Amino acid sequence: MGERLEQTPRVTDSGRNIAGRGKPRPAFALWGLLSAPLAWLLVVYVGSLALLVVSAFFSLDDFTGKPTTDLTTGNISEAFTQGEYVSLVGRSIGVAVAATLLCFALAMPTAFYIARLASRRTRRALIVALILPLWTGYLVKAFALRAVLAPGSDYGDGGFMSGLVGWSPGFGYVAVTLTLAYLWFPYMLLPIYAGLERLPNSMLDASADLGAGSLRTFRLVMLPLLLPSIAAGSIFTFSLSLGDYITVKIVGGTAQMIGNIIERALLAPNQPLAAAFTLWPMLIMVAYLAVMGRAGAFKNL
Amino acid sequence: MSNAPAISLRRVSKQFGDVVAVADVSLDINDGEFLTLLGPSGSGKTTVLRMIAGFELPTSGEILLNGNDVSNEPAFKRDVNTVFQDYALFPHMTVADNVEYGMRVRKVDKAERAQRRDEALRMVRLTQMADRMPAQLSGGQRQRVALARAIVNRPKVLLLDEPLGALDLKLREEMQTELKALQRALNITFVYVTHDQGEALSMSDRIAVFNGGRLEQVGSPRDLYERPATAFVAGFVGVANLFDEETSQRLFGRRAVHTLRPERVRVLAAGASEGHAARVVDSQYLGAEMRITCRLDAGVIVVASVPSAQARIASRDEAVALSWEPSAVFEVSASR
Amino acid sequence: MKKVSALAVALLGVVTLGACGGGDDGGAMLEELGEGEGAVNLVAWAGYVEDGSTDPNVDWVSDFEAETGCEVNVKIGNSSDEMVELMQSGEYDAVSASGDATLRLIAGGDVVPVNTDLIPNYADVFEGLKNKPWNSVDGKAYGVPHGRGANLLVYNTEAGAAPSSIVDMFSPDSPYAGKISVYDSPIYIADAAIYLMATQPELGITNPYALDQTQFDAAIAALETQKSIVGQYWALYTDQQAALENGSVTLGTTWQVIVNLAKANGAKIDSTLHDEGATGWSDTWMVSSKAKHPNCAYKWLNHIISPKANAGVAEWFGEAPSNAKSCALTADPNHCATFHADDEEYFSKVYYWTTPTKDCLDGRDVECVPYSEWVNAWNKLRA
Ligand SMILES: Nc1ncnc2c1ncn2[C@@H]1O[C@H](COP(=O)(O)OP(=O)(O)O)[C@@H](O)[C@H]1O
Ligand SMILES: [Mg+2]
Repeated sequence: MGERLEQTPRVTDSGRNIAGRGKPRPAFALWGLLSAPLAWLLVVYVGSLALLVVSAFFSLDDFTGKPTTDLTTGNISEAFTQGEYVSLVGRSIGVAVAATLLCFALAMPTAFYIARLASRRTRRALIVALILPLWTGYLVKAFALRAVLAPGSDYGDGGFMSGLVGWSPGFGYVAVTLTLAYLWFPYMLLPIYAGLERLPNSMLDASADLGAGSLRTFRLVMLPLLLPSIAAGSIFTFSLSLGDYITVKIVGGTAQMIGNIIERALLAPNQPLAAAFTLWPMLIMVAYLAVMGRAGAFKNL
Repeated sequence: MSNAPAISLRRVSKQFGDVVAVADVSLDINDGEFLTLLGPSGSGKTTVLRMIAGFELPTSGEILLNGNDVSNEPAFKRDVNTVFQDYALFPHMTVADNVEYGMRVRKVDKAERAQRRDEALRMVRLTQMADRMPAQLSGGQRQRVALARAIVNRPKVLLLDEPLGALDLKLREEMQTELKALQRALNITFVYVTHDQGEALSMSDRIAVFNGGRLEQVGSPRDLYERPATAFVAGFVGVANLFDEETSQRLFGRRAVHTLRPERVRVLAAGASEGHAARVVDSQYLGAEMRITCRLDAGVIVVASVPSAQARIASRDEAVALSWEPSAVFEVSASR
Repeated sequence: MKKVSALAVALLGVVTLGACGGGDDGGAMLEELGEGEGAVNLVAWAGYVEDGSTDPNVDWVSDFEAETGCEVNVKIGNSSDEMVELMQSGEYDAVSASGDATLRLIAGGDVVPVNTDLIPNYADVFEGLKNKPWNSVDGKAYGVPHGRGANLLVYNTEAGAAPSSIVDMFSPDSPYAGKISVYDSPIYIADAAIYLMATQPELGITNPYALDQTQFDAAIAALETQKSIVGQYWALYTDQQAALENGSVTLGTTWQVIVNLAKANGAKIDSTLHDEGATGWSDTWMVSSKAKHPNCAYKWLNHIISPKANAGVAEWFGEAPSNAKSCALTADPNHCATFHADDEEYFSKVYYWTTPTKDCLDGRDVECVPYSEWVNAWNKLRA
């Protein structure tokens, strides 16, 4: 025992066994145990979601800005057919996808280094270093990037970046993408790192043994096996980016995303329209999860 | 170069930090040979195998495949294939895709791929399982997929790391026979790792015995059993009575470690004309044989192995006499 | 269905915002002043409620707290829309509302009439500010006037001479193109209307808050054109302040308080009023219909229009005070003259923020574009 090659092949048969195990228990005991959390879930999650959808059909008292219960599809058609909003949604998806890809491109090699190459002590230090930022406030980090990315001008100095390299992307969609990637990076890194930790060494050895170089091993073995982890990470980074509106305010310049339009509608105040806009990210996330599911991301969950 | 050994290890050592996993091992493995690396857990067998495969690079020394120095070649460039102890099947691929993997990355064309895949699956009798996923197979079936995946590439050398370790006894014995048959059919070199001396003895052309990272002895199963070079080999391969220098001096008149196989010891009635007087300490019934543990009046423990059919049950403390042919006792070097 | 959706509205209020009170059934006007409740919760524009924490010399809260025992808690409202939203929550006692919020608050029943007899300092308020359409209904006062001012132009003094025209804010070949800072609020559409009053008189705009569909569309078109030269839309006053300080903005619509803050940090800027007339504000302190601390709220209303406090806030924020006696107490003896405190002629050129309604505010017999459409148009413009 204790030999490197004697690990049990967990990836292949974990999960499956569990489903088949366990005899049916007296149903009421289980329900009794679960009823409180289920009720909570129902009220808070499903209930507020349902209310959100319903309130998207409410009208607005023009003058006082208060919702009334006269039902209308006006908000939905406003949010879903107006070209300005559709293009805004398109840009938001673009930013979320770009931030997610950037997170992945940075997290994959980092996680690989930590999980597979680093010595035990370096590994621990790196994990701490990479998770620690999660404890710093979101705003602190966003403003830090603002200080880095601020463009220079004839009348004032820019941020660190324009000071150091003489160029910065300035405030806008690029800065938003960079900042979001920076903010959500740990959420991509951790699942990939965990996935790599679980990936048996022998899987990579086997691939090399059969003649695959590291690139091919990455593409044919590592990537498919890490897909659930990558999907989990990307769901975090994508949804967090898609819903963001504060980063946009801090480093976006004149840029706007779905979250900003929702905030505007809420402050207008036009709660029904805000609810209608909120359906956008909900639908996008459902579609995103469906695509991930198709790609087999949840097979091993 | 045609008569160069399939594999040559020249003064190969491997260290992991402070741990010396393999120390100064030199070994030639011939073409078409079934060679077993035998030793207890932690003795360095796997490390040797992994260095041959290219998963680890030796700290010092050279490794030659067919006379070519491959010491610094990465695994994917070496013409050897490995059957992993945990099988290491790709869980996201069907059996067929697993078997085709090596040909796929080496860009073998589709038609040939299919043909060789079918042939390999036929050899391991898994033709009907081609479309299953690994998770849907039993342990023995997975083991055979791993085998098919390796041999389909027609390597010159097949490395097997305790391939039967996870199987139950019955299946294990079946697979031993199958593996041996396969090796003969393919006529390629097998380097086989096991800690089970019975398995090693029954399958191998030659056995290399490892202990604490060192190579103790290389030889045919018969050599090892009958003429173990060291006390360790004597004790590890089969059961042996070992006599330390003091005892040997008294019993055999030579100051050196001696060994004696239990089946060469005869158990006679007390007061027989020959033999050493002793008392029975314990006796075990093992089916075909009985193992009788005795203490010589001189104080030394000696184990005798007697065919059950010829032995009556000896009772504890019974006085007996033990005798053996002088040729059954021979000198071995002391263990490190 | 009606019942279900009514329930849904109620629940929505609880779950999401905690908003949505009843209509006009809120508290009535206070008849008699009682003891203070120990605290007062205010919604105010930045710079209106200063306790010395921004600048140790700028403090008209501490002495109020000491005198009345009412501890002041302030929530900065960044826009009129946000203030309306905050007041709907019922968590606040009083608000410094601009003209584009007051009528909405009154109509929504979120504020109640104010008994000016209980506010001694009300007597000293400029007559020109009392009983105006944005702070009273049917002769009933809904608050006390706080002060008034115009939205100014801020410019970088190193980027050139002081601009005099609003055209520099809108023209594609403005020398400030790319470094222009625009107030991010639907009410800014009125600034575009003022630009059109000067450049396209044939549209016949007389009141920038009374735009029929044609006039409104022209204003939106002007704003669409302006988009390409805008470097910043500011919603938080600190955002504009930072941009002025680092030079990424060289021209913008601003409030004097922002100019003060940025200048204090070394920004090379100054402010000016453009010739075409400007949007502006006349703010009113109002009391919530759900006030939990009505007595402290009244004490605050009386305090903020007292000569000393009113002078302090007027100077700090950069506006004309509402109390005539304040003019003698400003640090800059010319403050009231500079800000035209009693110059009704000047203020006739300032278009106070007010809520656009379907009935045109200028009395024309056509349909005007209501504020909700302004909001939608602005959101689309910014999308
Ligand atoms: N990657 C490694 N890092 C550190 N020590 C190792 C590593 N691989 C093997 N070892 C050590 O080397 C020694 C030999 O191991 P191994 O070759 O696996 O033995 P066997 O296969 O004979 O059981 C053991 O002491 C083991 O702990
Ligand atoms: Mg091993």
